Amino acid sequence: MQVNFYATLRPIVGSRTVEFDLGENITVKQLVDVVVTRFPRLREELLNADGNLYPHVHVFVNGRDAPYLPNGVETLIQPGDTIDIFPAVAGG
Amino acid sequence: MALGGYANRIAHVDLTAGTVEYRGIPEDWARKYVGARGLGVRYMLENGPQVDPLSPDNLLCFMNGPLTGTEANMSGRMAIVTKSPLTGTVTDSHHGGWSAARLRWAGFDGVLVKGKASSPVYLFIQDGKVEIRDASEVWGKGVHDTVRFFRERYGEKDLSVIAIGQAGENLVRFACWVNEDDRASGRGGTGCVGGSKLLKAIVIKAPKKMPKAANLEAWKPAHKRALATIMDERNITSPRKGGLSVYGTNVLMNITSAMGALPTKNSMLTSFGPSAEKISGEYVKEHILVDDPTCHACPVACKKEVEIKEGPWKGLRMESLEYEPAWSLGANCGNDDVNTVAKLIDLCNDYGMDAIETGHPISIYMEATERGYTNGDGGLVWGDSMGMVELVRKIAFREGIGNVMADGADATARHFGHPELAMTVKGQGVPAYDPRGLKGMGVAYATSNRGACHLRAYTPAAELGVTPLGALKVDPLAWKGKGELTKLFQDLHAFSDSLDLCKFSAFAEGAEEYAAQYAAMVGVECTIEDVLKIGERIYNLERYYNNLAGFREGSDYLPARFLKEPSTMPGSQGHVCELDEMLAEYYAARGWVNGVVPESKLRELGIIE
Ligand code: SF4
Repeated sequence: MQVNFYATLRPIVGSRTVEFDLGENITVKQLVDVVVTRFPRLREELLNADGNLYPHVHVFVNGRDAPYLPNGVETLIQPGDTIDIFPAVAGG
Repeated sequence: MALGGYANRIAHVDLTAGTVEYRGIPEDWARKYVGARGLGVRYMLENGPQVDPLSPDNLLCFMNGPLTGTEANMSGRMAIVTKSPLTGTVTDSHHGGWSAARLRWAGFDGVLVKGKASSPVYLFIQDGKVEIRDASEVWGKGVHDTVRFFRERYGEKDLSVIAIGQAGENLVRFACWVNEDDRASGRGGTGCVGGSKLLKAIVIKAPKKMPKAANLEAWKPAHKRALATIMDERNITSPRKGGLSVYGTNVLMNITSAMGALPTKNSMLTSFGPSAEKISGEYVKEHILVDDPTCHACPVACKKEVEIKEGPWKGLRMESLEYEPAWSLGANCGNDDVNTVAKLIDLCNDYGMDAIETGHPISIYMEATERGYTNGDGGLVWGDSMGMVELVRKIAFREGIGNVMADGADATARHFGHPELAMTVKGQGVPAYDPRGLKGMGVAYATSNRGACHLRAYTPAAELGVTPLGALKVDPLAWKGKGELTKLFQDLHAFSDSLDLCKFSAFAEGAEEYAAQYAAMVGVECTIEDVLKIGERIYNLERYYNNLAGFREGSDYLPARFLKEPSTMPGSQGHVCELDEMLAEYYAARGWVNGVVPESKLRELGIIE
């Protein structure tokens, strides 16, 4: 599965898109665990002390921030889903 | 005046009579409306809301706030306030850089310009004095040449130049003032008002002379605390760590596109797909970024200077490849060539035109071309970047179809017989957030007192979870609560715009930090509640002005496209903007009757006696 990274997360993972070898029936939360295991420096960028996603971090499943999906971070990722991970971003 | 912090000196310039008078600020006004935006609007009200924006009677205010040019971080801001020739509302547009600080260091809180000169002039400001001088040598020049001319004449040291370009001279209705080559007071056509007065530039020569706080003892901790919030690594302002500091405002391009909130091709779509990456802050940093300039007293340094490395504009350096103009002249026009986007923004800066607004008549023309509406007026296909470069020139010089476009998006859409193609509110084009994917922006655009605008209430801060320390996060696709949220942000920003601090301070500081700095600088008591009350007063003052100028019931609306054409892109697919529901909530929070401020509210807030 491909995961897209943006802004200040990119220099940490070294590219725009990273391929992860994942089994079936994986949830968003499990995906995040896999991501921070492979890139330990991402842990402090994405997760608070309790291991939950910071409110300013976004893990999009097909453009929708995972916490707002009906099953939140327990949502099962489907083959073909687009996953984008953003740190805090704004400007205007 | 008993208040500290202020210079208590406003220059009143009458260009018809060729005179300059110096007066203090009425203390009651300073207490009620603070400075910059708030005070400027109070002067506008005094001048009369019925004034024709392009008549000599219109007032053009260059206003500082009590924090401008002080030690306060992000305080290099000035508000240019006038009645807009684009919208017919009162408008204020801010710029950064150093000119605002220099105006303060030269001894002024503001310069108010009325009348019309008999030949082109500029104002030369130094040591507490304003002189009206002949500008015939620079009339007809672009902003860049004008800045260069004055640098050669007066030396670069301690000098700031705020100028209009040819667009202002030619009365393009969205012409703007540009400060130091790249920093524009972009919105609302303030440069057009300058052109109508034959006022070419404001030239300020002033060495650094930081004003002292009235309460020095309280100032130190207030300043330290505000700075700590900016530096906090959890905030996007954090120097060289936060997204805003590292990538600039254009760090937004990819996320708004990914979530279906990036108005694309005149808002027919809500995402630019993979093309967003090609004009994004990330792409810019990886390919053409050369420097990170900043403004007076700002450790964030969100300005991103680029140099084009190849193609027809190789060698061009500019520092305003910002999110909004990159969207307007990029995704909005189907243009994903970052080099041309940089060139187009630089042209807008040189001609002195609002780069956000300029994309609107162009994308309308493109949609009209696609739909076969141009009726013999040629045509332009999506993404025709060379055609856009030529069209921008035509707009600035009012040539051919450019003469129609120079009157704005509404006039352009009407010209093609399809007013529904104009993505405007009160005549001003929407900025880079699609209210089908970021719903708060819908009610914020509709109720903005200066026409469609993202900066009256930056609701994406909450919808993207980037309020200080992530304190507030709300679902971008939910409408409930957005009316109240919009009011809160409008009041908070009205206060910070009157201090005048950079809008991005709100990603780190809150009402508490604003209150402490204001109180210490001016020497008054100020609480969080006072901040919000003063902000509310300023917002109602603007609305009162607009009501008197003819904006009555039903003036708060959105283009039908956002209400009736559901988004077709991931993230916001199927969504429209529920404006009516949000407006009802908003008016209830404001105590307004369908957009009109009742007299009781005006009395309650002390706007009328
Ligand atoms: S955040 Fe950016 S625009 Fe604001 S004061 Fe700092 S450098 Fe200027």
